[in-house]
Parts: sequence; C-alpha cells; structure tokens
Amino acid sequence: MSPFAKHKGRSLGIQKNQRQYDLPLNKDSGVLFLKTLVALMSLLAILALAGSFALSEMTNRWSSGLENKASIEIPVEDSQGVILSNEQMQRVTDTTQEFLSKHPAVEQYDVMSEEKIMELVAPWLGDSPTMQSIPLPKIISVSFKPKGNVDMEQFKLQLQNIAPQARIDTHESWLADILRFTGALKYTAVLITMIIGFTTIIAVAGAVKSRMAIYNEELELLHLMGAEDQYISKQLQRHTLILSFQGAVVGTIIGIIILLIINWGAGRMDITLIPDFSLNFVQKAVIFLIPAIVAGISMVTARQTVLRNLAKMP
Amino acid sequence: MIKFEHVGLRYGVGPEILSDVHFTLEPGSFHFLSGPSGAGKTSLMSLLYLGRHPTRGLVSMFGQNTGQLSREQLTKIRQSIGVVFQDFRLLNHMSAFDNIALPLRIIGQSEKEIKENVNELMEWVGLGDHRQMLPNTLSGGQQQRVAIARAVITRPRLLLADEPTGNLDDESGLRLMNLFDQLNRMGTTVVIASHNTALMERFPHKKLLLDKGQVLLEEPAPKTGLREKIMGRL
Repeated sequence: MSPFAKHKGRSLGIQKNQRQYDLPLNKDSGVLFLKTLVALMSLLAILALAGSFALSEMTNRWSSGLENKASIEIPVEDSQGVILSNEQMQRVTDTTQEFLSKHPAVEQYDVMSEEKIMELVAPWLGDSPTMQSIPLPKIISVSFKPKGNVDMEQFKLQLQNIAPQARIDTHESWLADILRFTGALKYTAVLITMIIGFTTIIAVAGAVKSRMAIYNEELELLHLMGAEDQYISKQLQRHTLILSFQGAVVGTIIGIIILLIINWGAGRMDITLIPDFSLNFVQKAVIFLIPAIVAGISMVTARQTVLRNLAKMP
Repeated sequence: MIKFEHVGLRYGVGPEILSDVHFTLEPGSFHFLSGPSGAGKTSLMSLLYLGRHPTRGLVSMFGQNTGQLSREQLTKIRQSIGVVFQDFRLLNHMSAFDNIALPLRIIGQSEKEIKENVNELMEWVGLGDHRQMLPNTLSGGQQQRVAIARAVITRPRLLLADEPTGNLDDESGLRLMNLFDQLNRMGTTVVIASHNTALMERFPHKKLLLDKGQVLLEEPAPKTGLREKIMGRL
C-alpha cells in the first residue's frame, strides 16, 4: 500500500494541510529553487530547439527551392570576346530551347524576359536609360524532373555541343556551402539543447543530494524502521516530478511567448530570408512535450540519486 | 534468537568502542542493558537495530547471520525491530497519529487497519486527545509516549529502548514497564538500556552489564522477603 493512497482527488499541485510525504519536503526553500531552475532550463531548451527548427525550415526551403533546378546563361559575347548580335543571341537561345524541349530529364524551362533580367541587375548597374542600351545575356531557368536522375556532366557536354558559349549553373557550389553552414548551426542548436538537458540532470541531482543531506536524520530513521529504498526514493522522485513539471510548464509558456514575439517582430521587419516561424506537427509536439520530458528526466535523476545515496547506508 | 559472537566495533581508525562482545538473547527474553556513561550502550544498541555493521565478529538476528544477508533481507529484519530512541527522533512535520502510523505504512498495512490500530494504541498510552498535534507541541513525556507507541505498533519481535522512562513520572514509568512486560509475555524479546537502578530492581530481569567495551551477563538477584531481610541483619 502506498503511503499516498489515502489522499483522494490529488492533482499535480501540492495540496496543503495533508500528509503527503514522510519527509518535510513541501516546507523547505529548495522548492522554489528547483522550480525556477527547471523553468529556466526549459526556456533555454525551447529557444535552442526553436532555433534548430527554424534553421531546418530555412534549409529545407532553400534546398527544395533550388533542388532539380539550373540556370543556363547565354552570354552576350562569344569565346573570342566578340559581342553577339541580337539575331545570333536569339539563334543560340532557340537551339538551346529545342535541346531542352527534347531532353527527357527536363520537366520545364522558361526564358527570362529582359525586364526581369533588368530588375535583377538593377541593384548593381542601376536603371538609368543609358543602362537600357547595354546588351544583356539570355537566361533560361530549367526544372528537371524530380526523379529524372539527370546526369549533369552529360547534360553539360550535350549543351556545349549545341551552344558552346552557354554556361550552366546548378547552384550546387554555393547551395552546398550554405547548407553546410546552416546544418552546422542546426546541430549546434541540438548540441546546446543536449547540454541544457545534461546541466538539468546535474542541477537536479545536486538539489536532491542537498535535500538528502538536510533530511539525513529523517531518512536514516525511515531506513532503520525498515523502509525499503524504493519506498523512500518514490517520495523524493514524485516530489521532484511535480516541481519539475510545474517549473517546466512555466518555462515552456514563457518560451512560446518569446517565440511569438520574435516571429511577430521578424514579420514587421519584413525579413524575407528567415522563413515564417510556423511549426509542423512533430515540432509542435516536441515543444509541448518539453515539460513532460524535463519532468521525466528530473524524476529519473532524482530516483537514481536517492537510490545511490541510500545504498551507502548499512 | 539474537547472538553476538566476538563482536568488535570501532569508528573509523579510532579505538574499539566494543571489543569481543559475546552474548545470546533467547527469544522472548527480557534484558536490561546497563553500564557507566561512555561504556558503549548506544553503540551496542545501534548494532542491535542494524544501524551499523560490526567491525569484526558475527551478529546473528533471529537465526540469520546479518553479515551474509542481502539489503532486502536486512530491511525485513529491521521491520521486526522496534526502537525507542533516547532523543525520540519523532518527525516534527507529522502529527502524533502519523508518527505512530509510520511503521505500519512502511510495511504496507491498509489505512483502515492503521486507523484502528493507531487509535487504540493512542488511547492506551493516554494520547487519545492529541492525535493531530505536532510533536513539538507535546510535552517531553507525551513525546516519549509517541516514540514508544511508534516502536510497539507493529508488535516487533525485538524491542529496544534507550532510557525509555527518563522523562516519565513514576506512575507513567511503571505503566510503561508493564506494557513492555506485556509485550514480552506475548513473545517479544526486550532490551532496555537504562541507568535507573530502582526500575531494574523492581523488574528483576537479566542484565547485560557493559563495561570497557565488554559485556557481562548478570542473572537477576532473587527477591528478598521480610524473613530473609531480618535473617540477613542477624
């Protein structure tokens, strides 16, 4: 029979005026310390995880936006540096389009209009009337079939045969660097979350140990009366579970509020590089599970700490 | 049966507090443990309630060598031992009722049985009106009665009491000794550490005399009647 069995209608909150523990756990100042500590750890864990999720989202958006895509540039000059006429440019463009239309791996292609190209180069060259007379290259954006398994080297060779001056950019080089960088940031965020978890374990173990030192006399008495180690540890682990859960819920709520403020602020500043902070189902589940996870880790830590310390008694 | 064979105890690297302690307590026996201050009574009691392991020798409780028992088995033995500590060691955040109920909760008795048993015993020790009072609001004598009730509530096989009558008046002390006698007659082995020679004379039980870390067993002196006293004077 559990020593808690006689209490009915107990919620996760600690009820007053009822005997719940054989140790005076509800009356010491460590209660507030443990709750605050766990709340802060949970808050940090949420922010680190949110950072990781945001980087994942950004990486996915960039890679899915540029995956299976390439740009073909038909420059305004040939290999000898001679400026091509409009007719020559159009001929090369048509040949390239014909090649693309027949290639089995190409899903679609689109020749970028001059106005669009002007828009792209305007930040560097300006949009004065003089600039309108500068010859511009032709750019064709190509989308490959997602499961087309295009051999890019072969594709480049074929393109060079029909349009030797055409240049193809698969975005791979810079995208790979960006993805490597964001990947490193993402794993750093995960590592920080793990460090926070580890710190929580150490802090909870320390808090439980200090409580055991405070209540050493009471613990020894229970031990001498024939209380099993499990009987004693259940009380401390339950107490730690409740306090940690309460602290973690507070930390999670504060964390979510901070994230909403960041998202709102980013939206107002029109930062388009960073995607909207909309979480998918799994990410939401992870965020909302943080209190349970933190409380669970704290409870297991408390249990192990108590059992290890009780084992030192004769 | 409780058996100590060549038992020694020392704290750390200090001198032996108990050296070559050797005695046997038969089941259902009643012993006083006496000796001068610092003779090692409390240390011997701590070995009896399995609060310490001996440095050397063999301690056998209820026929089992404690040195060879698992942690779980030692716990079971501890549940068969009731202890009245000299400083009571009551839990001050708990009511008198909950303090007495604690050993029953530890062994897993139902709350219904606990309520019945504890209420009955509290009435018996004269604390029926103090069930929900916290120990630090009780007098020394009342606290001692709570400690005694807690020690006997499970009807232990071995009852150890360290100066149990110290804070009691003569009448309460007598009543308490009668309770110990009653438990003893029901089969509980009783060991009482005491300085109270009057009490020991009044209840002629065997004595474990502890001196300089060693134990001597002393049989009770035969009761002397008026005739023997007169003859003695002559």
